[in-house]
Amino acid sequence: MKIVVDRVKCQNHGQCAISAPANFELGADGELHYRESFDEGSIDDIEDAIDSCPVQAVSFESR
Amino acid sequence: MIGIVGSGIAGFRAAKAILKSKADARIVLFGDETHRTYSRPGLTKRRYPSSAALDLAIAQDLTVKGIENGALTWRLGTRVDTADLAGKVLHLSTGEKFDYDSLVIAAGVRPRTSVEGGGECASHTHGTLRGVDDAYHVHRELQAGKKVTIAGAGFVACELASLAKEYGCEVVMLEALRRGPFESVLGERISSALRRWIVRNGVTFLAGDSAKEQLCDRSMVSTSARSLYIEAIGSVPNVEWLSGNGLDLSDGVRVDEYMRVPECADVFAAGDVARYPDPWAAGSSTRREFWKNAIDTGDLAGRSLASSLGYTAKVSGIGYFPSMATEVFGLRIQIAGNPQVSDSLEVVRGDLDRLDHGVLVKFLREETTVGVASMDKGARFNSVYIEMVKSLKAHAGSVLVS
Repeated sequence: MKIVVDRVKCQNHGQCAISAPANFELGADGELHYRESFDEGSIDDIEDAIDSCPVQAVSFESR
Repeated sequence: MIGIVGSGIAGFRAAKAILKSKADARIVLFGDETHRTYSRPGLTKRRYPSSAALDLAIAQDLTVKGIENGALTWRLGTRVDTADLAGKVLHLSTGEKFDYDSLVIAAGVRPRTSVEGGGECASHTHGTLRGVDDAYHVHRELQAGKKVTIAGAGFVACELASLAKEYGCEVVMLEALRRGPFESVLGERISSALRRWIVRNGVTFLAGDSAKEQLCDRSMVSTSARSLYIEAIGSVPNVEWLSGNGLDLSDGVRVDEYMRVPECADVFAAGDVARYPDPWAAGSSTRREFWKNAIDTGDLAGRSLASSLGYTAKVSGIGYFPSMATEVFGLRIQIAGNPQVSDSLEVVRGDLDRLDHGVLVKFLREETTVGVASMDKGARFNSVYIEMVKSLKAHAGSVLVS
């Protein structure tokens, strides 16, 4: 499994970066940066990040 | 048989949680809208191109996935008129009865209006914005470049103003009760700063008496073409159908920390309509109208229900921590905690006169932090903000707000 952000939907609200700061980050310009891979221990944070997105831009995708 | 009243995200997540514990659970989900579950925050988040099937385009774009076809029985376009919770039966708008064993109340809220009914007056086409069908009408009118008057200055009102400007419309905002946007949440100083930001972006913002004069009671006589008039002045919980069952319906439906309705076994409530014990303020209850709150309470109601039927489900008390984000004319606004209970504020970074250059604010009550907010066109102080939220959350449980 990897994390995918739909760049068309994403509006850089940054809620994912609050839920899972290890994988998501807003740059100084406000653009979202993220890391696709994660370890099993942070899956709850990632699920929280997926749920927190007000525009449903974050999801899992199987590799 | 499990009945879920409400096809919004809370009802959807309740169903999903039940299906996770019991894949062949028999669930019927009632929704008075004709669309499957969609992302409500998305309704005011971006422009759509003109199209003949704009309603379908919006609904499709925002549809929430994650429950496979056939797992649920969807009864869309079906209202639940009344409920007999002792007899465990729902009376539907179609005249049918529906017998259930367990029930989830996720009926949500509806927009508050000053005058009953929608329709038109001499000057305006009136409306509110809550569902896909509302959004379809609003987007279509905005696409036509019509002038729009917005009563209210909360989240929906501000996002709508921002969207209308993007469509190229003339926008007037009316805030009769307060001086600026979000004043009841963020206080007067930030509200004034946000008002300046909105005005700088070309909106006519009227407050107090000058706003009151422009509020439309639909009795005005005018010969000019009708412009759009949207009321975004808060919401009302949908609880009337539950009356006569002895529930506490004083502000939504009261539930315990597991989303159980205390007066009635096998009945649960979730989402905007559910008022639960505030996990961050001992002794007080809270009802939230945020996307993530609906997800967390819906999910928990589903797990509690599954557990009550003897299925394996992880159940723990609600722990939702308020955190939300909106964007108003390119300004990202993030808010966490309970700034509305604060008695003072501290600007941690930046300058309230230059919101677009980044501002971080702490909200204090008797010198304890109860809320934080970030405003920025970019996200210059994002890592500091995230640390502030983390620290707020770590200490919030110990703050007695009531």
